[in-house]
Amino acid sequence: MEIKIQLTHEPIAEKIPPPESSGAIGAWLEFRGVVRGEENGQTISALAYEAYPEMAGREIRRLLQEISARHPCSAAQVIHRVGVIPVGETAIYAGVASPHRGEAIALLAEFMDRLKKDVPIWKRRALPDTKTERGSVSRSIVKCEPDNRMAAGHRPALRSLDEAMAEIRAHCQPLPAVRTPLADAFGCVLRETVCAPEDMPPTDRSTRDGYAIRADDASETCSVVDTIHAADWKPRQLKSGEAVRVATGAGLPCEGLRVVMQENVERTGDVIRIVRRESASNIRSRGEEVRQGQPLVPAGTQLNAGALAILAMAGQINPLVSPRLRVLHFTTGDEIVPPEQTPKPGQIRDSNSIFIHSLLRNFSCDVEQAHLPEDFEVAKRMVETFNLQPSTFNLLLVSGGASVGEKDFTRALLEHLGFEIVFSQVNLRPGRPLIFGRNGGRVAFGLPGNPLSHFVCFHFAVAMALACLTGGQPPSFLRGRLAEQLEDEPCPRETLWPARLEWNNATPQLCPLKWASSGDITCVAAANALFRVPAKIGSIEANAEVYFLPTTPIISGGVNL
Amino acid sequence: MRVLFFAQLKDATRCEVVELAAASPLDTAQLWGELLRRFPGLAAHRPNVRLARNWEYAGPDARFADADEVALIPPVSGG
Repeated sequence: MEIKIQLTHEPIAEKIPPPESSGAIGAWLEFRGVVRGEENGQTISALAYEAYPEMAGREIRRLLQEISARHPCSAAQVIHRVGVIPVGETAIYAGVASPHRGEAIALLAEFMDRLKKDVPIWKRRALPDTKTERGSVSRSIVKCEPDNRMAAGHRPALRSLDEAMAEIRAHCQPLPAVRTPLADAFGCVLRETVCAPEDMPPTDRSTRDGYAIRADDASETCSVVDTIHAADWKPRQLKSGEAVRVATGAGLPCEGLRVVMQENVERTGDVIRIVRRESASNIRSRGEEVRQGQPLVPAGTQLNAGALAILAMAGQINPLVSPRLRVLHFTTGDEIVPPEQTPKPGQIRDSNSIFIHSLLRNFSCDVEQAHLPEDFEVAKRMVETFNLQPSTFNLLLVSGGASVGEKDFTRALLEHLGFEIVFSQVNLRPGRPLIFGRNGGRVAFGLPGNPLSHFVCFHFAVAMALACLTGGQPPSFLRGRLAEQLEDEPCPRETLWPARLEWNNATPQLCPLKWASSGDITCVAAANALFRVPAKIGSIEANAEVYFLPTTPIISGGVNL
Repeated sequence: MRVLFFAQLKDATRCEVVELAAASPLDTAQLWGELLRRFPGLAAHRPNVRLARNWEYAGPDARFADADEVALIPPVSGG
């Protein structure tokens, strides 16, 4: 039997072709297991799956071979998705081909039963449906392992990259939208789709300087009955033998016309003789660009210059957008001195303040920054001098102090400020000691202090929160190819590797950048993407497919997906 | 030997992989003895956990050598 097995983090294709072989196949049976919207009585938005990939693949193959000895089939393909799978999407696909339907049906039925007993894949957690459970704080994670006795508040602190991103997404709800004048809306996320209030152009328009005549008029000479300039609006019907002098951009007097270029006409007084007829009508038809009611700018668009120009053209002068976010950023650590100061032995200049400030510029937000001393009691008193009312900030970032050293107080500080810690570690290199907390609609991150960790955590975690709080497009991984071989020791954690993204015939190519440690700041300046290196892999061949996260805006339309 | 933990066992041990030194191959009882000494929290899970050796379920007579990859497989829930 021909067997194909795949474990993937990506959505399973809607259509999967049957095996290529032969006329011997009389039955092609497909099964899809999809994620239900309910788990243990709770409404959920997604399930997170985990696998032991090396063994799961072998075990699936062993089961198929064993069962096909009793129910001979020609081919089988099994795809199991892992990571976070939204409700309604396929978790497992199984396709079986056989000469007659009986064998395929029997094999598939037994295989699915055995898979659920033997193949090392687990539903790990259910992510709550936050749309229907807004305001529910304690049920942030619905555990679905039958024998898990961990109490709320003692949830495991460690998350995979996918789990961390999904949980941030689940906890960050879009803030109430506000109407904002166009001039202040640059960078804000549009929250309602703006449609064309009328056809564009609103009438047929001439694209040439020339003479409009009826499209069916075969007359050699016509008399000029009117002249229409670009700003004129003079509706009238034309008869055969009549022409109207029109300027480029002028609205035509009625529909069903064509424009003869003035170069193809000899004019004598008010009479023209058509010397040459072109095939083109030289008309931009009413609604040719946009029909009335057609969406112009979809909700979720971050408004750039072009989008604002379209809104202006559509007369939408007070678009409904997300409010500017207010971000509070604290740096910590007594070894940090301001960049203008010469550091004493043991001290370093603060680079994180300007780094975070600059990274936040791609988002519409106001940032307030301060440095906290290492003494927790002093730091607490200092933080209390800030206005920390719920209405005064949406996002709190703390640089440094995220590890578990005795002076690392970020976790305690967030708890002191009333934040519930959702997770405090991500199984990731660099960026493992990332803390994520929530307090009502506000969220907080404790960022590991090294620059490269900052860079990584900002792009997969903070950017996710910013996008979700504003209703924008959440960061997602794209497919690209490795430009050169990556040589590395296998690491027990997944890695987000800094890279230079370049284009080669519309295919994104990623050149891995060298980095020695999470303190490596030189590669941060060169990087414009991060790509995933799965745990325990080590080296990756040149031209292998990798998943990457752009760290500067790119034209995703150019990505060959 | 490398010992891998999955799903709720990761939570119980707070790690996903551990290196155990085994001068000579361990039988199932010896392996469990070593694991429970390091991770007492595994005791509650033991009745439901199957052992795998080099990506295959291990039988009761299996012996686990220093070069092996061992995995603790709690009840699965794929599909």
